[in-house]
Amino acid sequence: MLLLATWEAAFRTFQWRPFIFPAPSQVLDAMLNMLGISSGFGKPLHAGWPLVAREPLDSSPLLSRVLHSPLISADLVSAARLVVGFAISVMLGAGLGAVMWRWIAVDDFLGPVFLGLQTLPSVCWVPLAVLVFGLSETGILFVLIMGSAFGISLSMRDGLRTIPPLYHRAGLMMGARRWRLYRHVLLPAALPALASSLRQGFSFAWRSLMGAELILVAERRGLGFLLKTGQDYSDIAQVVAVMVVMVVIGILADRLVFAPIERRVHLRFGLAGAG
Amino acid sequence: MTLARTYQDLSRPGAGGTAPLSATAAAAPRSGRLVLSGIYKRFNSSPVAALHDVSLHCQPGEFVVVVGPSGCGKTTLLNIAAGIVHPDRGSAVLDDKPIRFPGPDRAMVFQDHALFPWLTAQQNVEFGLRMAGMGAAERRQRSMEALRMVHLGGSGKKLVHELSGGMRQRVALARALVMDPAVLLMDEPFAALDAQTRTLLHHQLQLLWCLTRKTVLFVTHSVGEAVRLADRVIVMHAHPGRIRKVIPVQLPHPRTFDSADINELARLVRREIEEEVNRVNAALAAEDSWRPKETADLGAPAGDLGSGI
Repeated sequence: MLLLATWEAAFRTFQWRPFIFPAPSQVLDAMLNMLGISSGFGKPLHAGWPLVAREPLDSSPLLSRVLHSPLISADLVSAARLVVGFAISVMLGAGLGAVMWRWIAVDDFLGPVFLGLQTLPSVCWVPLAVLVFGLSETGILFVLIMGSAFGISLSMRDGLRTIPPLYHRAGLMMGARRWRLYRHVLLPAALPALASSLRQGFSFAWRSLMGAELILVAERRGLGFLLKTGQDYSDIAQVVAVMVVMVVIGILADRLVFAPIERRVHLRFGLAGAG
Repeated sequence: MTLARTYQDLSRPGAGGTAPLSATAAAAPRSGRLVLSGIYKRFNSSPVAALHDVSLHCQPGEFVVVVGPSGCGKTTLLNIAAGIVHPDRGSAVLDDKPIRFPGPDRAMVFQDHALFPWLTAQQNVEFGLRMAGMGAAERRQRSMEALRMVHLGGSGKKLVHELSGGMRQRVALARALVMDPAVLLMDEPFAALDAQTRTLLHHQLQLLWCLTRKTVLFVTHSVGEAVRLADRVIVMHAHPGRIRKVIPVQLPHPRTFDSADINELARLVRREIEEEVNRVNAALAAEDSWRPKETADLGAPAGDLGSGI
């Protein structure tokens, strides 16, 4: 807060290169504008700027205005892509991880390849996606999956390897055979590994999605596209505002969904520290 | 329920004493005849056989303890009885049925309890019953009964990491007993516990065994444990693994550590094991190429003077 206040004060005092360093108030203003709410925060940088005036606000009720605002609809589009892509990525990654754990030969073959592909920044999949799938939803999903599935499969494999072989034997001795052994012993035993790889995989997926949306502007929707729009209109406040939203969504998803899952599993297994 | 109640009567102070409990135990068991004959097993990584022509017949209701130095194949023997390891030659038969796979007619208690940390104590005990397809209500009742047998009736809802080492091992025992197996296989189940807890669990195990009369095949390092629990102590021979000596223990159950007979038998078993360990060490030393340097400059002993004349 102190930092933000200092920044704001400095901005008001010096007015130094306002098109590069927006004030927090302007960022907030941009955010509210994207939410369809007009605000008096942040005075205009100078007359006639930003170059393109925002759409005039209509007089419909506030709630519907917010719900149909660019930011919310972009969030919803991105969230939908994320949910679909991440679900596919988890199934694919966890499945491949399990296969790599089960059959050493597969691991010998795929392990190094996956390790290599995992180090590839996910944005580097974009050109390939464009050539193969065109500017389409499929392309975005492809980038998202490529960006997160390898990491998930590797951490899934490593997690499965930490399961004590004793559980396997104990399960067999108590009559858990074949799929029952997988369902009732190995899958629950892998839960801590799965929870951690989910959490890690999510941050990869989110980053890949934002990168993909930014460059691969399919159907001109999504949070990444909003960021791109800010760039195109030289609207630094909007750019920063969208970045803030991305960070906030990433943190919220981690704190409200993935960290609690991981924590619950660890508590159950007695892996967490005191408390 | 009746089982649990009888057990509680027995474990009341002064109820057990030194009276032969075996006489008051339930009807002689019909099943649990474990026959291992001519077992030969060599692992790929080793030049010597882990087990070389080992035969062991456990009578129904008998408590057999296998002791021996490490590497004598005693755990392998147990794993073969469990069906986890398959012998190269020889046969393992339980009640006229050959042992091919791990199965719920043989319950195993491991050194590291092997309870599933994602389940509560009671769910752990129920696990085998669930795999067998038993209904939830009956499962709950049977598992509760088993937990009461090991004095953990109040801890069923606890998670594994909330239990102490001794409690975990008791849950593991309940988990094995609840299956009502023909044979109980125990792989150094008390080795990781402190001495006091171990003594307590010895006592509880003896009482439980007297009541249920399961056939028990028990592997341990501890001579005291072996003599205290066993009807028969099998001392193993290492490299290759063979049976070195069988020592019957014909004393009434339950036993206490400090009786003179027990101490005498323990001495006997300990001597066998010491000899075995010395033999193994001597064999290892013979294979070793290193020798202490012989001292050559001592000169001829005085007794030899004039011997060449």
